[in-house]
Amino acid sequence: MNFSLSDDHRLLQDSARTFLDREISLKALLAPGATVRDAGYADNWAKIAQMGWAGLMIPEEFGGAGLGCIDLVMIIEELGRTLTPSPFLGTLLGTLALIKGGDGALQTRVLPRVAAGELALALAVAESDGREEGPDRETLAESHGDGWRISGRKSFVIDAAAAQLLIVAARSAPDGARRLFLVDARKHGVEVEIDPWRDITRQVCTVTLLDAEAEPLDGGDVWPWVRDRALLALAAENAAGIRQVLDTTAAYARERVAFGRPIGAYQAIKHSLADMLGQAEAAQAAVLYAAWALSEEDARAPLAAAMAKAYSSDAYVEAAHRSIQIFGAIGFTWEMPNHLYLKRARANAEMFGASHEHRSRVIDLARAELAA
Amino acid sequence: MDFELPKENDPRRVEVRAWFEARPRPTGRQLAEAGYATPHWPKPWGLAADAEMQVVIDEEMKRAGVTPPANPVAINNCAQSLLTHGTEAQRERFLVPALAGEELWCMLFSEPVGGSDLGSLRTTARREGDHYVVNGQKIWTSLAHKAKVGVLVARTDPSASKHAGLSEFLIDMNTPGVTVRPIIDLTGHENEYNEVFFEDVIVPADRLLGQEGEGWALSMRQLQTERVALSKPGAIWGSGPSARELIAGLDAVGALEDPLVRDEAARIYIEGEILRLLAYRSLSDRMNAKTPGPEGAIRKMLAAPHGQRIVDLAKRVQGPRGLLSGESAFPAKGGRRGFDDWDYAFWFSPAVTLGVGTQEILKNVVGERMLGLPREYDPSARGPWNESQGGTTSPAPVREPAKPAEAAR
Repeated sequence: MNFSLSDDHRLLQDSARTFLDREISLKALLAPGATVRDAGYADNWAKIAQMGWAGLMIPEEFGGAGLGCIDLVMIIEELGRTLTPSPFLGTLLGTLALIKGGDGALQTRVLPRVAAGELALALAVAESDGREEGPDRETLAESHGDGWRISGRKSFVIDAAAAQLLIVAARSAPDGARRLFLVDARKHGVEVEIDPWRDITRQVCTVTLLDAEAEPLDGGDVWPWVRDRALLALAAENAAGIRQVLDTTAAYARERVAFGRPIGAYQAIKHSLADMLGQAEAAQAAVLYAAWALSEEDARAPLAAAMAKAYSSDAYVEAAHRSIQIFGAIGFTWEMPNHLYLKRARANAEMFGASHEHRSRVIDLARAELAA
Repeated sequence: MDFELPKENDPRRVEVRAWFEARPRPTGRQLAEAGYATPHWPKPWGLAADAEMQVVIDEEMKRAGVTPPANPVAINNCAQSLLTHGTEAQRERFLVPALAGEELWCMLFSEPVGGSDLGSLRTTARREGDHYVVNGQKIWTSLAHKAKVGVLVARTDPSASKHAGLSEFLIDMNTPGVTVRPIIDLTGHENEYNEVFFEDVIVPADRLLGQEGEGWALSMRQLQTERVALSKPGAIWGSGPSARELIAGLDAVGALEDPLVRDEAARIYIEGEILRLLAYRSLSDRMNAKTPGPEGAIRKMLAAPHGQRIVDLAKRVQGPRGLLSGESAFPAKGGRRGFDDWDYAFWFSPAVTLGVGTQEILKNVVGERMLGLPREYDPSARGPWNESQGGTTSPAPVREPAKPAEAAR
């Protein structure tokens, strides 16, 4: 048992922090009227791919770095802290689906090009009700003589407009089973539309498919293995976001003077910030535990991932809101970054299951563990 | 990073288990002499155990059905100061009986004039030749009615500034002039707290702990150590029902079928699991950093309201039955009483955001020491203490009943 990060982990974190602080700016998004199209997705992705992060979790045999969940957290926390707009998350989720569900030939064909930064991916699992786990009422796959074709629609697909390849969940005829398919987004019958999503640091899209060519991923059961890692990724963004919001808000409270004293001297503000620090520490502990449990494929991993996502999502929304309150009216303006954090927090809270759904699962898992 | 505990066949675990198998009913003295009373202390008093080893020892003791010596004030807070600031004679006289649980200790800190503002205390210790003469009053003293040894903070130099004039003593609670009176709290149970009065109490000079004027630094460190020790998973300062026991209890009565109870229970469970992680992490940190830091304050700040939520949800699922005296939501584990009793734990729970640093003081500490926010303004902390008090150097008259607002420390 050892609760400290290794020197390698710290090094990875430090280099990610230095790189992103130097390279990433949200300035264009702070002009009123900005949308995700102004976020610099493509430029940022080119820089990130040069760092080798596109292949972070891709096994070394396919040209990736072959790193694990704890390493991943070191990088994602920094991306989440800076709200870096890029198709990193979509590509990660697609990669995880291919690692778990793709057969050897498919992996050999696709993964090296992802690792090299040539291909971005997206995982299209949710439908218009927001559910990611099926039953895919709106997407049907049929097998023809020349292969599979998909028609229908997937919703809330992260990074689809930046992706060349999509991994799409569909109900397959005739057995009605849920299957994942690889779909080339550039081919005929695939339309991707960027949603007017409030979190303009992230592309969230609707994908419409009409008789689109599809290649099934038959290598293994992807869900809930991918879901648990998606929960970890979002929880890591959340934990780092809380910390960032806290740091900037505490800095403001040390400097902003009202009634002759810095506002951080007043207990109404001081105690609010202390509460945020408590939540930041708690969220980070939950994230590191989940990362460890997932990297070890520990029996508690699904429980740990659900706890981290539920706790950190709620705490992030609360912290982002407190931050606006403490900044005062200036924190309510578009030109300040506070709202970008509030919107990321709200968006993450809804993706891959809302907090109350994870809490309901936590009860089932905890009951099972206590009964054992 | 690694969250796994040593396996069943780990040699360190095997060694601990063998010790307890050879001594099925160890005395407190046997435990203390083997280092099992304070495993995290350096040898010979402890085993210099790291966080992992402490958890292993806890688990093996629980498995063997052995309750470690109960002397919380000595073991969790104060006795460790003897290692760094005590004399050889003090260590010889006090440590083994304390760690063996043979001589209970109590902390004579809070006074009617201040708990949160501990530095404003008025009890005086005046040096006269080879002894000090103590006069004044303490309040909210746990265990004073059972303790043999009291750790007293008193003002030895009224002309020094507020915090610089304080010193700490190890006093014999049987000394003539010491009077202990119980305080009955809102639970109506046997008293947890006491008032302690000092009337010309003679304390030999060799009972001074450290130097004169070190009392503030020593007592602050002891209170922070307590914050570390108090963050076990139980609702009441680490003791009593835990969130896991709440889930088991709610499940047994079918309450988890109610979606609102289920959601609230899950929130509490998640907090409890995170607090376990934070507690283990701080044990690790404590081994490395030696001196407890303000992180302990963060954990207590989270743990105290968490504990209140555990017992509150249990009480609410009882409905009106829960208002009947002694009516517990769930059976107490092992049939034990005290904080393990859900009903008593609920009614006692308002104390956990008061005792050992009120929630408000903890948040000040966290905000100031960890976020660099401006310190609270204390006009009484500047200049000689006796001048800021309008020349008052003698102890305050002491017989007034304490107001509830003063319960804060």
